[in-house]
Amino acid sequence: MSHPDELLRVEGIRKTFPGVVALDSVDFDLRRGEVHVLLGENGAGKSTLIKMLSGAYRPDAGRVLVGGQEVRIHGAQDAERLGIATIYQEFNLVPDLTVAENIFLGRQPRRFGLVDRKKMESDAAELLERVGVTTPPHTKVRELGIARLQMVEIAKALSLDARVLVMDEPTAVLTSEEVDKLFRIVRALREDGVGVVFITHHLEEIAALGDRVTVLRDGRSVGQVPASASEDELVRLMVGRDIDQQYPRRAAETGTALLSVTGLTREGVFRDVGFEVRAGEVVGIAGLVGAGRTEVVRAVFGADHYDTGSVRVAGATLPRHDVSAAMAAGIGLVPEDRKGQGLLLDASVEENLGLVTLRSATRAGLVDRAAQHTAAARIAGQLGVRMAGLGQRVRTLSGGNQQKVVIGKWLLAEVKVLILDEPTRGIDVGAKVEIYELINELTAAGHAVLMVSSDLPEVLGMSDRVLVMAEGRIAGELTADEATQDAVMALAVGAARPSGPAIGEDDEQDEEGVEGSRGH
Amino acid sequence: MATDTLKNTTDSGGDGGGGSARAVRRLLLDNGALSALVVLVVAMSLLSGDFLTTQNLLNVGVQAAVTAILAFGVTFVIVTAGIDLSVGSVAALSATVLAWSATSEGVPVWLAVVLAVGTGIACGLVNGALVSYGKLPPFIATLAMLSVGRGLSLVISQGSPIAFPGSVSRIGDTLGGRLPVPVLVMVAMGLITALILSRTYLGRSMYAIGGNEEAARLSGLRVKRQKVAVYALSGLFAAVAGIVLASRLSSAQPQAAQGYELDAIAAVVIGGASLSGGVGKASGTLIGALILAVLRNGLNLLSVSAFWQQVVIGVVIALAVLLDTARSRAGASAAPAGASGAGGPGGSGRKGARAVKYTVAAVLVAAVIGGVSFWNNGSSGGGTKLGLSLSTLNNPFFVQLKAGAEAEAKAKGVELTVTDAQNDASQQANQIQNFTSGAMSSVIVNPVDSDAAGPSVRAADKAGIPVIAADRGVNKADIATLVASDNVAGGRQAAKTLAEKLGGTGQIVILQGTAGTSASRERGQGFAEGIKAYPGIQVVARQPADFDRTKGLDVMTNLLQAHSGVNGVFAENDEMALGAIKALGSKAGTSIPVVGFDGTPDGLKAVEAGTLYASVAQQPAELGRLAVLNAIKAARGDEIASTVKVPVKVVTAKNVADFS
Repeated sequence: MSHPDELLRVEGIRKTFPGVVALDSVDFDLRRGEVHVLLGENGAGKSTLIKMLSGAYRPDAGRVLVGGQEVRIHGAQDAERLGIATIYQEFNLVPDLTVAENIFLGRQPRRFGLVDRKKMESDAAELLERVGVTTPPHTKVRELGIARLQMVEIAKALSLDARVLVMDEPTAVLTSEEVDKLFRIVRALREDGVGVVFITHHLEEIAALGDRVTVLRDGRSVGQVPASASEDELVRLMVGRDIDQQYPRRAAETGTALLSVTGLTREGVFRDVGFEVRAGEVVGIAGLVGAGRTEVVRAVFGADHYDTGSVRVAGATLPRHDVSAAMAAGIGLVPEDRKGQGLLLDASVEENLGLVTLRSATRAGLVDRAAQHTAAARIAGQLGVRMAGLGQRVRTLSGGNQQKVVIGKWLLAEVKVLILDEPTRGIDVGAKVEIYELINELTAAGHAVLMVSSDLPEVLGMSDRVLVMAEGRIAGELTADEATQDAVMALAVGAARPSGPAIGEDDEQDEEGVEGSRGH
Repeated sequence: MATDTLKNTTDSGGDGGGGSARAVRRLLLDNGALSALVVLVVAMSLLSGDFLTTQNLLNVGVQAAVTAILAFGVTFVIVTAGIDLSVGSVAALSATVLAWSATSEGVPVWLAVVLAVGTGIACGLVNGALVSYGKLPPFIATLAMLSVGRGLSLVISQGSPIAFPGSVSRIGDTLGGRLPVPVLVMVAMGLITALILSRTYLGRSMYAIGGNEEAARLSGLRVKRQKVAVYALSGLFAAVAGIVLASRLSSAQPQAAQGYELDAIAAVVIGGASLSGGVGKASGTLIGALILAVLRNGLNLLSVSAFWQQVVIGVVIALAVLLDTARSRAGASAAPAGASGAGGPGGSGRKGARAVKYTVAAVLVAAVIGGVSFWNNGSSGGGTKLGLSLSTLNNPFFVQLKAGAEAEAKAKGVELTVTDAQNDASQQANQIQNFTSGAMSSVIVNPVDSDAAGPSVRAADKAGIPVIAADRGVNKADIATLVASDNVAGGRQAAKTLAEKLGGTGQIVILQGTAGTSASRERGQGFAEGIKAYPGIQVVARQPADFDRTKGLDVMTNLLQAHSGVNGVFAENDEMALGAIKALGSKAGTSIPVVGFDGTPDGLKAVEAGTLYASVAQQPAELGRLAVLNAIKAARGDEIASTVKVPVKVVTAKNVADFS
């Protein structure tokens, strides 16, 4: 029986893609003034479900009811009319238009056929105030940080008088202060009677914000529990088994230095960066957003240039800005932006896995595709990539499986030093643990791993040593025993502000809080 | 590509029945372009008895060859998410380099071939370097090369076609009198393309770069170098296409292959490649090129009006790509039904998808059949059948010629098929070839270029079909007669008229026609001879405006900036003269007399209005009439004169009434 406050109900919905059943008889409902958390591993079908609500996909079977009426949502316009607004992880904003123009895109207030800029900006200012953003409405969206972009998206949803707000992992890219702010806004929306569908991988956020939780697994709804359920129970529902250890690091025997970096400098970005990574070791790099972590590892890999300093692999100095040389020396990089930099989304799993080894599989200009196929099949099996077949397009894989493909192509190349930049961003608990186990296997085999991560518990849990970067420099190095959240934060912030105020005391802090410190 | 692999595995989960019929059906459903080609071939065979003959199918192959070879090269570039607009120009340039070095400079033929291929590669390398290292968008880099390549081939050839060395021209011939070499070259290049794309490091890199350039770079592919190689490869293929094209015409034309880059791109996209990169196959591109060739050939055989042909071609291009898009969309929803096991709820989705495919296919068939039968006004009776291949219909002169010819044909009760070569010598060669195999009683050719028409007219001679040349002659081939106005004499008369109006002194400018055309050469030559008699007259500028009214306006505007003292204009046709008059404004006909050529209706109106001082009037309708009259005589085997002169007259305000 439907609840009197019900806004939305999904019954027995089913959706298939080539070779994959994404959703099968899934039920879900949302009431006025509640935050309903959608929980599940990547590939469980969360994104597919919300895309049906936003009109991006159409269900193959099942019903969608809004306010008790069966509806068909065939596009963004339908969703808008029904009061359903969706905020995706990738924002739908036009960078070169102003904040006000983005909020009212396609619905700009008009006078005499012309856009009434004054009214548009004053309306936008009002909405921005509701979401607590002080940015002037005529600012170009390009100039905003990620947290503010999200607030603009929320303001846009408010401008549509959305009764249902769907948020796909809104906290994945935010700092802890930004998350707090977001939660305040979501709670305010809840007070106003808006129903919020909230997707997150951070279990602790569920208790903090949620009312009810629906858990999806392998395209089916496996349970609906109150948000007060224990984390263990949620994990068990999500993964379908118990997870003994979230960070199963097994330290390996360390050997000689495989990667040594000295005095690496790029003007205005990072300065005098030096460190070593020894065989069998996992070295983590922690720091604030903008501390220069990604820039350093990209320079080490040769993807970007640097001004002075040197990078040596097993004693041999690498030429600057030369990816091929770095690869030949045995370095591999799993980039931060998996889809934008790591994968050929429309190519097959096999092609992606064979990309790094393409050259070594070439004899006299001809690629040995049979060998490539065999190797891809072996590594995909070893990594447990869940797919319909090696021919499946990578775009249709879940985030965790996509990341396994990116790592897999480097495993095939038998790298000595694997650099992982945000290896588990946007990946569910189960797949995370699989990737950690992979790191264990690599170091056990005498390889070295350099890991950049904004998930502080992950850095602390998996690293043998932690380098903390601040403002382009290495602010300090901590052993696994010394490395605690407090010690890392002290270094990350202390170097940044030698005599400045503590975290959260001024507004600018919003843009650069310690990422991931919300972990515990 | 990978998607096929997946589809094959999922589709095989379908119903139990087996056999080759199902395999064929699946092949067609999985490949929209192939189904479109099959539909077209079936439609053409039903509509024309001449279509499905070995000779005609070989003709189609020959006619597809140049586009296909160009398109193979463009496939590489498009797979990397680039575009190459320069292939047509590079083809012409390579052929010109070959002909010039072998014929004019006496370089050994093998070395000339190496030079030509090297030219193509060099152009590609420049494109690649501009894109990779200069960071220019491919569209702009290759657009620049399009202009540079065309310009250089005009510079090297001085605007005139150059005879192609005989030994290389054999490429345009047949093997053992049956198998055309261009088809063999096309097949060979296609196999090479398939090999490169599927098996080589370079080919696999292309897909990676087109799929995600940054991911490819971070996976250790040397993206910049690979891109340079890709454009060089495209240049190489363009050179081969240029050599094949010139061999067919036995002449290297500086203006050859204009607009072919768009045909090539269309062929690649019809073949299923994506302009956003990462997708594309050699087989698809070949099918795309064949679709275009079958269409042109079939429309010729069916005597579809030249104007409507272009409409039909455009519609079919759009439909072919639509069919492919519908297929991939249908494939996306149909496959899981197979994967999830027996029928059930998936069945309806699959049925819907199939309905989409069949609907598009049905629309395609209806469009083709409807299109061709609607404009196919001829009865295929046993009477006299004449073919008329016009150089262009984008000019009132030829439209009048066509009208005169059609009126005469109607009066004499013969069937006349008119085609439009769009100023493209090789397209004209195709049309003459189609006339020859279509069993015409005799063929009238209004050559785009007198040299280039040679080989195809020789083929008609061999088949015993008399050929009448209209307006321009045909070199190195037997023709029954030439029906033409005397352009050289006309040029002389124009000079005399203009000089006398100016009283023997003044500064004049000349607007030239399309560089390399015989009309422009002869009229220019006649005018130069005529003006010598008036030493007081100084030619201050001589610039091409391509027989085009808009260009005439632009060029004249520019010339007025540079030469303010101009007091007379000669344009090698009326269209340019009318453009010049626009540029001159009120000065036209008052202080600056303009003399045109052709005596088109618009030109005569201007003479009447006084803005055009004089035009050397040809009588295109009369020319068309006489051409048909002589063609009928030739078909009957009657004796006819070797040249038929159509009178040319200077028209001024005094005698204009006699002409309109």
